[in-house]
Amino acid sequence: MGFLIDGFNQLQTWLLILLSPLNITEPVLQFMLVSAILGLSIYLTLYTGMFSLANGGFMAIGAYVSVLLTQQAGWSLSLSILTGMIVAGIIAVPIGLPVLRLRDIYLAIATIGFGEVVRIMALNFDDLVESFIKWMVQKEILFDSLISRAETSDMLDITIRDNGNVRVNFELLGGARGIKGIPVMAETWMLVLFLIIVIYFIIRLHRSRLGRAMAAIRQDEQAASNMGIDVVYVKNVVFVLSAMIAAAAGGLSGHLTRIIDPSNYGFDLVVDILAYAVLGGTQTWAGPVIGAMVLRALPETLRGFSELRGLINGLILLGAIVYLPSGLVDIKGFRGLVAYFRNNRTQRKEMVKDNANT
Amino acid sequence: MDLLTSTTVQQIINAVSVGAIYALFALGYALVFSILGVLNLAHSAIFMWGAFIGMLALDPEKAPILIAFSIAALLLSIPSILLEKRIVQPQLLRLPHQSQRFVGLIVRVVALYLLWQIGRPIYGILIGILPETMIIPAIIAFVFSVLGGGILSVILEFTAFRPLRARNAARLAQLVSSIGAALVLVNVAQIAFDWLYNRTEGYYPRDVQLLPFIPTETWIIGDLRITPIRVVILVIALGLMVALQYMVTKTQIGQQMRAVAFNQRISSLLGIDVSRVYIVTFFLAGAFGGAAGMLFGMVFLNVTPFIGESIALVGLTAIVLGGLGSINGAVLGGFIVAFIQTASVTFGGSSYRNAIVFILLFLVLLLRPQGILGQAEENRA
Amino acid sequence: MKTSRKLFLLLLILSLPTLFISAQDDMDMQIGFWEECATPENLPETVTIGAIFSLSGPVSVYGSVQNQGVVLAIQDINEAAYLGEGVTLEVIFEDAQNDAEQAINAMTKLIEEDGVVAVLGPTLSTQAFSADAIAQENGIPVMGVSNTASGITDMGDFVFRNSLPESAVTPGTIAQASEILGIESVGVLYGNDDDFTVSGYEVFVDALEDNDIDILREETFAVGDVDFSTQLTNLLSDEPDALVISTLAAEAVQIITQARDLGFDGPIIGGNGLNSPSIIEQAGDDAEGVIAGAAWNIASPNPLSVAFAAAYQEAYDFAPDQFATQAYTGAWLMATAIRCADSTDGQAVRDALAGIEGFDSPLGSFSFAEDRNPVHDPVVQIIADGAFTVLGADMTDE
Repeated sequence: MGFLIDGFNQLQTWLLILLSPLNITEPVLQFMLVSAILGLSIYLTLYTGMFSLANGGFMAIGAYVSVLLTQQAGWSLSLSILTGMIVAGIIAVPIGLPVLRLRDIYLAIATIGFGEVVRIMALNFDDLVESFIKWMVQKEILFDSLISRAETSDMLDITIRDNGNVRVNFELLGGARGIKGIPVMAETWMLVLFLIIVIYFIIRLHRSRLGRAMAAIRQDEQAASNMGIDVVYVKNVVFVLSAMIAAAAGGLSGHLTRIIDPSNYGFDLVVDILAYAVLGGTQTWAGPVIGAMVLRALPETLRGFSELRGLINGLILLGAIVYLPSGLVDIKGFRGLVAYFRNNRTQRKEMVKDNANT
Repeated sequence: MDLLTSTTVQQIINAVSVGAIYALFALGYALVFSILGVLNLAHSAIFMWGAFIGMLALDPEKAPILIAFSIAALLLSIPSILLEKRIVQPQLLRLPHQSQRFVGLIVRVVALYLLWQIGRPIYGILIGILPETMIIPAIIAFVFSVLGGGILSVILEFTAFRPLRARNAARLAQLVSSIGAALVLVNVAQIAFDWLYNRTEGYYPRDVQLLPFIPTETWIIGDLRITPIRVVILVIALGLMVALQYMVTKTQIGQQMRAVAFNQRISSLLGIDVSRVYIVTFFLAGAFGGAAGMLFGMVFLNVTPFIGESIALVGLTAIVLGGLGSINGAVLGGFIVAFIQTASVTFGGSSYRNAIVFILLFLVLLLRPQGILGQAEENRA
Repeated sequence: MKTSRKLFLLLLILSLPTLFISAQDDMDMQIGFWEECATPENLPETVTIGAIFSLSGPVSVYGSVQNQGVVLAIQDINEAAYLGEGVTLEVIFEDAQNDAEQAINAMTKLIEEDGVVAVLGPTLSTQAFSADAIAQENGIPVMGVSNTASGITDMGDFVFRNSLPESAVTPGTIAQASEILGIESVGVLYGNDDDFTVSGYEVFVDALEDNDIDILREETFAVGDVDFSTQLTNLLSDEPDALVISTLAAEAVQIITQARDLGFDGPIIGGNGLNSPSIIEQAGDDAEGVIAGAAWNIASPNPLSVAFAAAYQEAYDFAPDQFATQAYTGAWLMATAIRCADSTDGQAVRDALAGIEGFDSPLGSFSFAEDRNPVHDPVVQIIADGAFTVLGADMTDE
């Protein structure tokens, strides 16, 4: 294992030297990889014909769970990310069962709503616990054990003032200030490894029964159901898988940025993830991966344009959507292009004539 | 007890006035969705531009810049439209199919650059002719906002939607292209703010009188306080809603719009100018967005390139809650969102007000997936 | 319009040297002529530092004025040949929008690719928690000029800030307000999704309890909200003596005007969010009775502050706020550290920075504490007759 990682690091050094004209440094590469994982998470649902945008919410869940486990409980990174994935997967079941009956934009807005609720809960979790403990102290429920708890724990702090006022201070998720001082445990090779595992998994999935069922549902849900495919089951399984991948991306990115706070997981993130998939194209898994990497690298590559950076970024996104019908990774388009260049001159001339006539 | 009831009434007044802005904003969203079946996420950027244009028009020092720019743009738009229709498009058709799009892109970029270069001296001359400061009445500024929003929206239709529709692209692609368009619009606004104000925020003057007979002093009735501008917004929102309803049901273009919403291909076979219907739809939606932006600025004063972002999600929720594609539903949805937010604040949950909105939305969608006033999907498509 | 502005700018640039000389001759108002260190001799021709601010996106309202403050400071520093004859101080500005990841990317680029001596910024505390650690690892001094969250400088001995946290300002604000205005009960309104406003709120609650002032009700809003009348109606139904608000500048004007629209005429107490010159400009009469405790205020009589405010107004056509002043001062502090270190070595600059004491700046006499936090006097101001005035001052007149 060790020499593999060494070899990878060698490779990475060379790669970064090659990419340095594009302003891609190691952290940029890392965030590109995280985004690629996120792109795959939305790819799964889109491939099944579900316009679900819950990825931001699940990413938040994965990030918070795994960061709490490494920071507070001292778990290892892989174990805590795995737990984050499982927690997100479990939460996905009761969300998915009712919501996946919805279609198109209705599903999108319901899942955006889920993400917003997760974000608002993360924002207010500490407050909620505080008011609950305050209520318990005032009603003298479990009074002694709470007070002794507060004395030993650095999370909880209870002060009772002379005038009877109770102040409770509880800090776990940190509200708007987030959790800070997270150790940087994720490394580039881990991200690459995880990305490869997910890609491998997706390739295997496509060849499996489930994968064919997914494609059938996207083509025509009614027909798939008539053919005996358990549509509800397949949709929910895909939703859970997508949630788990998003949660893993959250856990990995949380261990890169040193701080996580609820504002990272808002509507903007969801819009970004959707753009990764659509820009790259959803014909194959490579689309979202390439789309995510390009869109994440672009703002850094454009740093030289200073104030025009955002504008050029937007123009490139718009131009790519308008002028590249199937995204950056366009298999048919590529084949068409090859075929076009293989055609000889006379055929081309005929084409010109045909076009002029129509 | 008396205090409690007056607080309650005041809260209802608050909810209605916020609801009116949400409704006005959501109206434009709903209009485009009902005709095209596509969410135009750039609508919030149009809203912001409406607020921005209105602010420039009301600022005596900035008004000449706005007017000179508008005239220059108008002067150039005629030759550029002719150029596009008469030369670029026919010539492009003679090229091989595969390269049309690419060559078209390059030709248009070059043409835009040339127009920009021609426009600069024209702008310079106009700025020289116009006085240093100009005071524009608020109602004219409002017209600027409305027209500006409408024109921007039509430009959006031609650049971000039409090319995608032409090749039958997925709705998802149209959604993302509207995101790209929003990015462009917001970033252009940011550059314009930096240029005009040296920073990315600006302020409306206080107590703008939209029409001479509208008072600006707060009305005090007992314990209640009502700012007139909020009543104006309510009246305009309801008025526009009624006008739109009339237009859609009674006029010829309205009937054509409904036909296109029902089925584009059949409408086209029936001899309806589908392209014109789309242009009208986008213009109206943009005009509503611009109007909402200007009114927003008059009430809340502070304008930044990012004001659209916080209202975008609210507007989206409102139209889904009210029923996608239903114009009355959008208005109803706007008011419902405002009422839920107000109610949750009144009962002590100000931190959770948006969570409550979304949970309610969730429930409504599960019970009635087409929204409150929406028609079931089978009946529409 | 455009040409006249250009002409004006040209005139301004031409007249700058003369302004400069006369100011120096008159009363030695130039910041930074810190006598402690001799003119450096060993510096290269260009010394490059980095600045990471939020230059686009919603936070750019603050980031762009920080940028302008630093630009102004660098002009002054280079014109005064503060780092020695022929030595130019250069700043590479990087935009980090409002996310932590871009701050990390910008910091990495500045350190690894541009090889900067030191870094100013980033704008947001959350960004500082991600990016400053990279500077620490690389031994590059970094100075926050707007980070107020607690624990920033705990990240390491290369992490500094010159922005007073709210906990250094607020207790004084509340104590003075309650003493002078006799406030007994308040309603509290704060933004609950931003780390600055939440920290500010917590410090306010502590200070209110220390002064035995009742909190009748607490309400929250979110960044980007524009309508506060619902929360305000709730708060005002309890008839508090004063409103305490913890907000950013963007929401302040709306909160003040809407509170007044709802008929509240008592004092409105807040932190730096209420400290912006645009409050008086935009809220007009409604701003009367607004009390702002902050690290710096435009009404400060300190001659360096007056000179800075005038220069800023002239250059950018609007009055500076605390963000601009802290950024301006931050650039001067960094330049002073480089001057005193007479070296571009990170460790040397860090040591010189830590040694700065009693530095005369627009913020007042400025020092770094042992833990690299700023030490200088905050000011509590009230808006009266359309201007900020020191809270205690006009009361003694009566």
